[in-house]
Amino acid sequence: MLARLPLVLFAAAALAIPYSVQRIFLHTGIEKKMGTVQKIFYFHVPLAWIMMALAVACGIAAAIQLRRRSQLAESISIATGELVLITGLAVLVTGPIWGHATWGRAWTWDARQVSTGLLWLIFAAFVLLRRYGAAGSERLAAALAVFGAVDVPVIYYAVKIWKTTHPSTDVVGSLPPQMWASLWPALGALVCVTLGLLLVRIRQEQDQAGLDEAWIALDTGGK
Amino acid sequence: MSLVRQSWLLAKNDLVQELRDLEMVMTAAFFTLVVLVMFALSFAALPAADQTLAVPGMLWLAIAFVGALTLTRIFDREREADTLRAVLTWPVDRVAIYFGKLGVTLLVVTGCGALLMPALALLFPAAEVFLERPLESATLLVLGCVAYCAVGTLFAAGLATASGKNVLLSVILYPLTSPALIFALVATRALLEGHPALTTYLGQLAALDAMLVALASWLFEPVLLGNVVKPVRSAPRRRPMKE
Repeated sequence: MLARLPLVLFAAAALAIPYSVQRIFLHTGIEKKMGTVQKIFYFHVPLAWIMMALAVACGIAAAIQLRRRSQLAESISIATGELVLITGLAVLVTGPIWGHATWGRAWTWDARQVSTGLLWLIFAAFVLLRRYGAAGSERLAAALAVFGAVDVPVIYYAVKIWKTTHPSTDVVGSLPPQMWASLWPALGALVCVTLGLLLVRIRQEQDQAGLDEAWIALDTGGK
Repeated sequence: MSLVRQSWLLAKNDLVQELRDLEMVMTAAFFTLVVLVMFALSFAALPAADQTLAVPGMLWLAIAFVGALTLTRIFDREREADTLRAVLTWPVDRVAIYFGKLGVTLLVVTGCGALLMPALALLFPAAEVFLERPLESATLLVLGCVAYCAVGTLFAAGLATASGKNVLLSVILYPLTSPALIFALVATRALLEGHPALTTYLGQLAALDAMLVALASWLFEPVLLGNVVKPVRSAPRRRPMKE
């Protein structure tokens, strides 16, 4: 059943995405102040939530990997770290598109923008270290992920106090309940895709570790 | 032997070796001088109003660069002589190795900061506050450097055991220390502007320091050794460092 779970999740996403898109574009009103461009909100906000959740999950998995030497935790930390990079990139692309249409500027140095950018950089460093680091750097990458997860609120607060001396930005105001109601199917669809990808990537890492162990066993057994 | 004493003895050992050739201190001080000259050439004609914005950036960028330079060298003796394993077998708490190295790094980086602050004050009128309020300036410098070095020492140690790919230190260090550097920038700007919230910012920076040092010391052993199997330490096997 667990092996087929990614397929189930992708199938659910295949149904949820068209439903969500038609609901957002055909059955949800156009926001008066921002116009049609506000529709990006239904993708941008869930992606940002998913990115934050993945960053925290990556930090927790990395801490378990470091303290308990768990292969499963290591696989989860790799998969979540890589997905933070992908979802973060999507957030950093959709955010400025929305910002450009709403504020007239793609990048306003808003606290959320900068903190998302910095968090993305930390996880980019995590992926670089996993990919190009020498033997033993997996522990270092895990420590980086722990710091990254802990840094989430710190970065946000740091940028917020830094912004007190900069011009303030008129961030999006409150939205009517029916617009929030259209957000949940979009969130569900994106969560299904993310979880499906996560499970596939975890399985890949587990298989890789199994192959490595088999190779070592074969090598040492041959001697 | 207490953790403080163990850390002090390890730091003293490094300092004695450093005093023999002053390699790390001299290169860091020279690098600071070069960065200062470059800042002076680039920003000498900056209007006084803009200097308040630029000086904090110059100070903390220079410290970030000097810090990275120092951190790439801090475990070099152990790596070059392949003595890190020997250090790990010493009958001391392993976290004392972290605190010892942190102390040495902090000394070098804070020393460079102590050169930077008066030099910036001489070059830029907006930075004269550094000389007028030395106590606040020194507190700010130490607190900012502790946050930077606390993270840096952990990752420098990790890279020292990872077959010498030290180039990755900058990749790791700058994104991870950005919140600490932003806090330091905010506090420096408050100092230059005479902002009343300076004390609050310094308090927040101190809290961040405590959190980063605690987290780094918690992670030091698993990062360095790959597991948390504690060495069996019976009473007779624990000997003072001096022996």
